[in-house]
Amino acid sequence: MKKRKPAKTLNLILTGVGGQGNVMASRVLAGMLVDAGYVVTIGETFGMSQRGGSVMSHLRVSPDEVKSPQIPAWGADVIVALEPLEALRVLGVYGNPDVCVLSNTRPVYPIGVITGELGYPSREIIMEKFSLLAASAWMIDATDAGVRLGNPVLSNIVMIGALAETGLLPFNRGMFAKEIKKTLPPDKLSLNMKAFDEGRAMIRQESVALKNL
Amino acid sequence: MNKLLSPDKSTVLFLGNEAIARGALEAGLAVATGYPGTPSSEVIESLAGVAARRNLYVEWSVNEKVALEVAAAASFSGLRAMAVMKQNGVNVASDFLLHLIASGTRGGLVLVSCEDPGALSSVNEGESRYFARMLEMPLLEPADFQEAKDLTKWAFELSEEIRNVVMLRSVTRMSHASGNVVCAKLPTKSRRAKFEYDGPVMDSQTGPMISTPVVAKHRLHQEKLKTVEALFEKSPFNRYSGPAKPKLLVVTSSVCFLYVREALSMLGLERDVGILKLATTWPLPPRLLERNLQRAEKILVVEEVLPFLEENVKVLASAMAGRIGVKTFFGKYDGTLPAAGELNPDIVARAIGGIMKVKPKTPPASYLAEVKKAAALIPAREQTFCAGCPHRASFWNIRRAIALDGREGFVCGDIGCYSMAALSPATGYNTMPTLHSMGSGTGLAGGFAKLSAFGLDKPVMAVCGDSTFYHAVIPALINAQHNRADITFIVLDNAGTAMTGFQPHPGLPVSALKETVPAVDIACVCRGIGAKVAVADPFDIDGTSKILTDYLAEKGSVKVLILRQACALSPEKKGKKTFNVRVNEELCLGDACGCNRLCTRVFRCPALTWDSARKKAVVDEVICAGCGVCVSICPQNAIVKAQGNM
Amino acid sequence: MKQPGAQARLKKYVLRQSLCTGCGACVGMCPYQVIYKDRTVQLFDCDLPEGRCYTFCPRTPTDYNALEKTLFDPRDLTDELGPVRGFFLARAADAGLRLRAQHGGTVTALLGLAMAEGLIDTALVSGRNDEGEPQGTLVADKGELAGYAKSRFIVSPTVAAFNRIDAKDREKTGIVATPCQAQALAKIRTAVIDGCSQAQSVGLVIGLFCGWTLAAEKFRGLLERFFIPFADLDAMDIPPGFNMLELRSSEKTLLMPLDEVDEYVRGACRYCVDSTAQFADVSVGAARCGMDPGEMRGWNQVIVRSLRGEKLIELARQKGALEIREAPAGALRELKEAAAEKKRQGLENIVAKSGSKKNLLYLKNYGPAAGKRENR
Ligand SMILES: Cc1cc2nc3c(=O)[nH]c(=O)nc-3n(C[C@H](O)[C@H](O)[C@H](O)COP(=O)(O)OP(=O)(O)OC[C@H]3O[C@@H](n4cnc5c(N)ncnc54)[C@H](O)[C@@H]3O)c2cc1C
Ligand code: SF4
Ligand code: SF4
Ligand code: SF4
Ligand code: SF4
Repeated sequence: MKKRKPAKTLNLILTGVGGQGNVMASRVLAGMLVDAGYVVTIGETFGMSQRGGSVMSHLRVSPDEVKSPQIPAWGADVIVALEPLEALRVLGVYGNPDVCVLSNTRPVYPIGVITGELGYPSREIIMEKFSLLAASAWMIDATDAGVRLGNPVLSNIVMIGALAETGLLPFNRGMFAKEIKKTLPPDKLSLNMKAFDEGRAMIRQESVALKNL
Repeated sequence: MNKLLSPDKSTVLFLGNEAIARGALEAGLAVATGYPGTPSSEVIESLAGVAARRNLYVEWSVNEKVALEVAAAASFSGLRAMAVMKQNGVNVASDFLLHLIASGTRGGLVLVSCEDPGALSSVNEGESRYFARMLEMPLLEPADFQEAKDLTKWAFELSEEIRNVVMLRSVTRMSHASGNVVCAKLPTKSRRAKFEYDGPVMDSQTGPMISTPVVAKHRLHQEKLKTVEALFEKSPFNRYSGPAKPKLLVVTSSVCFLYVREALSMLGLERDVGILKLATTWPLPPRLLERNLQRAEKILVVEEVLPFLEENVKVLASAMAGRIGVKTFFGKYDGTLPAAGELNPDIVARAIGGIMKVKPKTPPASYLAEVKKAAALIPAREQTFCAGCPHRASFWNIRRAIALDGREGFVCGDIGCYSMAALSPATGYNTMPTLHSMGSGTGLAGGFAKLSAFGLDKPVMAVCGDSTFYHAVIPALINAQHNRADITFIVLDNAGTAMTGFQPHPGLPVSALKETVPAVDIACVCRGIGAKVAVADPFDIDGTSKILTDYLAEKGSVKVLILRQACALSPEKKGKKTFNVRVNEELCLGDACGCNRLCTRVFRCPALTWDSARKKAVVDEVICAGCGVCVSICPQNAIVKAQGNM
Repeated sequence: MKQPGAQARLKKYVLRQSLCTGCGACVGMCPYQVIYKDRTVQLFDCDLPEGRCYTFCPRTPTDYNALEKTLFDPRDLTDELGPVRGFFLARAADAGLRLRAQHGGTVTALLGLAMAEGLIDTALVSGRNDEGEPQGTLVADKGELAGYAKSRFIVSPTVAAFNRIDAKDREKTGIVATPCQAQALAKIRTAVIDGCSQAQSVGLVIGLFCGWTLAAEKFRGLLERFFIPFADLDAMDIPPGFNMLELRSSEKTLLMPLDEVDEYVRGACRYCVDSTAQFADVSVGAARCGMDPGEMRGWNQVIVRSLRGEKLIELARQKGALEIREAPAGALRELKEAAAEKKRQGLENIVAKSGSKKNLLYLKNYGPAAGKRENR
């Protein structure tokens, strides 16, 4: 696994469905990176688009300069998805042959799928598309891990832990622990650390890597 | 420590709105007011969070006009004050604003308008920059997070310099984006409020705060604008970057500056194209423009949404054409840039690339072909009411009542989460054909109700949220009652301004500063108007439907139904389930005659999904909010509930 | 384009055509349809291609002859009255019941008998809901039956209540049905829809003669004009010998000439060709001729149609539940003439609506077609 250190701007897209803790995850990531001396720009949409719609945070990590809060098309280096369909959706706009994808496995069905008007691609098809469209890809059951830990909302922290383990972004456990201390009440800290470690452990299992070049 | 109070020289990741709030604190702000509206709300929210420590007065006002009035009172008393709103809020405040500019101000007064190009969270793409020109008010537009803070701080100084209100305009991609900001000192002294009015009428600092004598004061104001122009000429926030003689000069402001810079790097044109980034966009500093327009023959103006800057630059350029020569302008007028919607680096790159004959790089064709194949498999994800949302239940009841009544009644919509009811796959069940501005649903309903003499004989309803009720509905309701308009008016009372994140409003017993305050009861207000009032729980499907069908059948004037149930995302509900809900597969009829998937096909809660292999409904426990409403709609009693964790 | 589903077709061919009789056959099975204030309301759209609502409705196209032949002995069929195995006058032997009944109390007596003898466990009659509107009501205690006697000349969506009964209990249910309801029940008894419904048995259908019903909401308005609260209405009848509708409440009796009543008649009834509930096991109506009007009022005309009906009447004779006497000479002829007249009117209206003698709307393969009958 190669470790990426942004000499130039690193573009990460965090995607999911409203209510999955997207915004919190992007703030935690950005907070760590600002402390590490990077110039970080996050572009996010919330408000109405949070209501069951797709949500995306664009995280831009630059050594020196404020970047546009919107990443240009085909410009993602890393995609972290709390929902697999959203990873695919983002790939379709921001993907490129060098992109790395880390995705949760658990689907959140769009209303059109629930009503039966639209179809949701099977897990196999989603995995196949990841392999075709990304340089590296991992899929982990982050929601299940969250549920096991007592709250499905923790899935975003599980994903952050997993991201740390992939080495795609310059942060580690210590930085995470320091960052969450700033915002979370003390009684929530150990549970969040557990979720973080759970994510790291999941990446270490061979089976979750669909493709790792 | 609250990060808004970070020490001098520290680098902090701020949301654009937080940067504005910090800038105001550094300027020695005393009073902040606003009405919640995306993307503006975090300014007031974050200030409220530090109010006690910074000795501020912060309030959520009933609407934007009142917000500006409350802030102006502080200014009149010599304090620095700020009123914050979204773009269309400026329309609401504009009547007062017109007169305020005529009377002048004292303590620094800044009007912050956070606008929403592309209408990401709005039902309009309104522009308030034209107010700056129309009402003759200096306008500032920050282009990054540091500037958002620094320009805000400067705006207060400028306001005191000219003794008038200054407008600061942000956009969603600034307000709701975050970036590094280096903090400066927070002041340690605060001012005392003092309101003088015995001085001469023409002295705005000691005399009465009035707009008369109108023409004389207007003349005085225009002189002040000359001072503004001079200050703008020297402003460090206006910057040129690029070669001395570029092939193309891009004039831009706001976050569009970041798009332009990104576009140039995408196209590799940093050495060919120059950027004039303006932070002071009205009145434009003519000499600064003259110096820079001279650099190139081709000029592209990049801005969102309307061609405000383009028009003003062109006016100046034509006046100085004798000196700078005739330029070729690109922008919105010639179609180089789209005339509607928000911009992004790609759109800007295409525009610049088009002029410079350079194409942005794309992945190889084989990759694009695979992307195309994958895209065909991706179902759209439409917005919808959340799992457990009271609005879904309310509109379910409304739809039933309309159907039972049988006269094709309809609902005039209003602004809030429930606006989504106007969208087709969201869950208004096709009941809400109109949607405009705050409070206008009720005004329209009152109008429709008067058309029976002309043959429009349908029952008319209006909905509004609890916060909207106070903001702008009350006059429309009084109008309907006074003119005997037969309407059924439904308040979707979800105990907070849910769409913008639970700011308190006059109906709640708590203020922005978390003090206990008297709640203004909607039912009492409606009764005071003389309307008939009922209160129900929208989760009680039978009870609510009954009241509504009775209301529709009843002749009379204004009938009010207050549907009270807290938002599924409200702090008191979030993460808790009233009921644990599941589907008993043996009883579930699925898509057979007798049900045909009422819950998933029609009711459409995002947590109730359809297992197409087993042909049964399933509750997704991770998403389910445990409201239990689906239990009462299932014809088979196949959805069952047990007590939850609430 | 997708074919319109069952529910959409029901709307197009029945509801929008004002053919809906309000019988209730399309209601009570699913959440999409309800009867509300005498109207059949589609609350939400259903897109199933085939469904019970459309299939059961007596006003969707039906092979009329096939239906008759499946349910009855073809030898019993007559043009004017459908199947006839027996015809006579009857009244309840229990004089107390007769006092509480519409005419002779035959209907109530037969239901009571069927319950007592275990032919049925429950009777589905017409009761009222909280608003005083008629609704199908299940009675399991035969002592309570008399409380539901007497006729309300507005539609009672009784079949909806039948649809709500557990499939296994239907065989043991007796139901009082107007002609359109008896026809709906005939369709329910024979229809098979792929993957959704089996032909269902019904324990017993006692049909009521029916000339028309009133449109409930308009009628309510009429009553209000005479200060009779809808819920206080105790009885309504067309006494023999008068051309008047008699309305009785606890406080007053009102007589209205029939031609004035006409404007309150439910539109759909004008397209009905059945006045004697041809698809019932036993049909019961008022006695109309051959006696002095006062006495006549206490008797019923009865048509026995099916084997099952015949057995019930046999039992009634044995157990003495009914007093039975031969119908006066000419009664059958008069009844046939009246029935033929309603058919003629109904067909005329149907043809006027469809615009063609060949298109009889819901009547497919209808035996006594207009032309054929007039030749006789
Ligand atoms: C709408 C209507 C129109 C009628 N028109 C005629 C007519 O034109 N000529 C004629 O000879 N007879 C007509 N009848 C039948 C007549 O009124 C008596 O019901 C019949 O003679 C039986 O009398 P009975 O004493 O045996 O009934 P009862 O023993 O009093 O029993 C009457 C039964 O009918 C049920 N019932 C009452 N109202 C309705 C309703 N609206 N729908 C369904 N069931 C109901 C009651 O629940 C009860 O079970 C009509 C009946 C109705 C309901
Ligand atoms: S409404 Fe009830 S019966 Fe129908 S699909 Fe849903 S759970 Fe099954
Ligand atoms: S209880 Fe039912 S309606 Fe409520 S959130 Fe859960 S699945 Fe949705
Ligand atoms: S009866 Fe069947 S087909 Fe008709 S509306 Fe109901 S579910 Fe749909
Ligand atoms: S006639 Fe009966 S089955 Fe047909 S639509 Fe009307 S109520 Fe429904």
